[in-house]
Amino acid sequence: MRAVVFALALAGIGAARAEEAFVTNQLSDDLTVVDLATSKPQATIAIGGKPAGVAVSRDGRFAYVTSPDSKSVSVVDAVARQVVGRIEVGGGPLGIAVAPDGATIYVADWYAATIRVIDAKAQLITASIAVGASPSGLAVTPDGKLLLSADRDDDSVSVVETATRERRATIKVGARPFGVTIDAEGRRAYTANVGSNDVSVIDIAEAREIGRVKVGLRPYAVALARGRGFVTDQYDGTVSVFDLGSLAPVKRITVGDYPEGIMATADAQRIVVANWESNTLSIIDTDRLEVVGEVKVGDGPRAFGAFLRR
Amino acid sequence: MRVTIGGLAAALAVLALAGTAWAHGPTRQKVRESIEINAPPAKVWAVIGTFHDMSWLPPVSRTEGEKGNEIGATRRLTLATGATVDEELYKYDAEKMSYSYRITAVDVKVLPVTNYSSTLTVSPSADGKGTLVEWAGAFYRGYPLNDPPPELNDEAAVKAVGGLYQMGLEALKKKTESGS
Repeated sequence: MRAVVFALALAGIGAARAEEAFVTNQLSDDLTVVDLATSKPQATIAIGGKPAGVAVSRDGRFAYVTSPDSKSVSVVDAVARQVVGRIEVGGGPLGIAVAPDGATIYVADWYAATIRVIDAKAQLITASIAVGASPSGLAVTPDGKLLLSADRDDDSVSVVETATRERRATIKVGARPFGVTIDAEGRRAYTANVGSNDVSVIDIAEAREIGRVKVGLRPYAVALARGRGFVTDQYDGTVSVFDLGSLAPVKRITVGDYPEGIMATADAQRIVVANWESNTLSIIDTDRLEVVGEVKVGDGPRAFGAFLRR
Repeated sequence: MRVTIGGLAAALAVLALAGTAWAHGPTRQKVRESIEINAPPAKVWAVIGTFHDMSWLPPVSRTEGEKGNEIGATRRLTLATGATVDEELYKYDAEKMSYSYRITAVDVKVLPVTNYSSTLTVSPSADGKGTLVEWAGAFYRGYPLNDPPPELNDEAAVKAVGGLYQMGLEALKKKTESGS
């Protein structure tokens, strides 16, 4: 009996899906799904409208993709590898995030200083939230209570209470924040500041910037793993690594050209980087702090957002 | 009439944003051109390897700059039309015969792009007898807002940069193969 239970448990582990990357290829107008266990592309899904932002729901069922040129959000069934819905949002949809419970999608309108709130089930816009100029990266705290928007052309981050959909605070950061990443505890957030070539460290509860880290040229986004921050430096073709405690620089890792989207795997052992110019993913080992793999994807990969299905 | 008003509104919007050089469209564009030259790489590098001297590019009538090939060096290109382009060096590797620079100021009427960066690389050609020169650019369209007019859209930007690179590389080939 015990053996049977054990066998079932093993089967359960075996059934756990492999982690995958959902990479938006803006210039080839599609999405490449990459199996991160084998580093092999599994599927290419046509999207259209110059896809840029992507957010995979926490349960792994859907990937939501923004297409600024067609002014829409595509709903991709992550298992079936199919587009199953198209939501017309208007404006310039770019950054995107999904609430932890999967019920709500937030889309930043790059031109309208507004975040659109979408009911995931109904696939309809239900509300709009006014934020700062050129909202870019979006992130939701793990408890789902707060939404952070990097308002690039206001050099600030908006903190929105999701229950009331009201902006509760505006936090001044470095110049032109683009990507924003919240840690697993929901305590701190990190913005990549394209204009000042640094990263702002935010205390979310206190709603203020508590530190600044110098990184490479034109930083795009930040990933977090094992007490370290990993930042894509677009113009340098590097990932800057810094210590989250001391905020001291640790290393610069050379990746492909124009690295953009970046995210850590669930076990924090690897960092996945999309290289816009090289049309590749670089895989960084977080022990060795070296690139240990490269995967070919489509043309102009941006993977802006939570692009890993983990 | 509606078209005129729309065009005027678009022009005013561009004017309003002229001071915000950071604003840009949603899709960064790529152009990569290359050419084979029947001359040694060192000879080709000698022509293009000095950042503040871009006299090898046909539309450039005057080129001046500061700080040589240091990171952060700047140059101003004056075109035959009188228009100027300001650029800044951010990567330079003499050993790899490659450098990267970005445009810090240009009128979109001169080159319909924003947030432009570019890399020139000289390497031995595949047969080892000559030189391969690659010129790669990354940039956004000239119109930073939504719904660009045709002369400032993604296609116009790619066409302008592609044409410039082809013309520049042809001129470089001619200059370096002629022995001068």
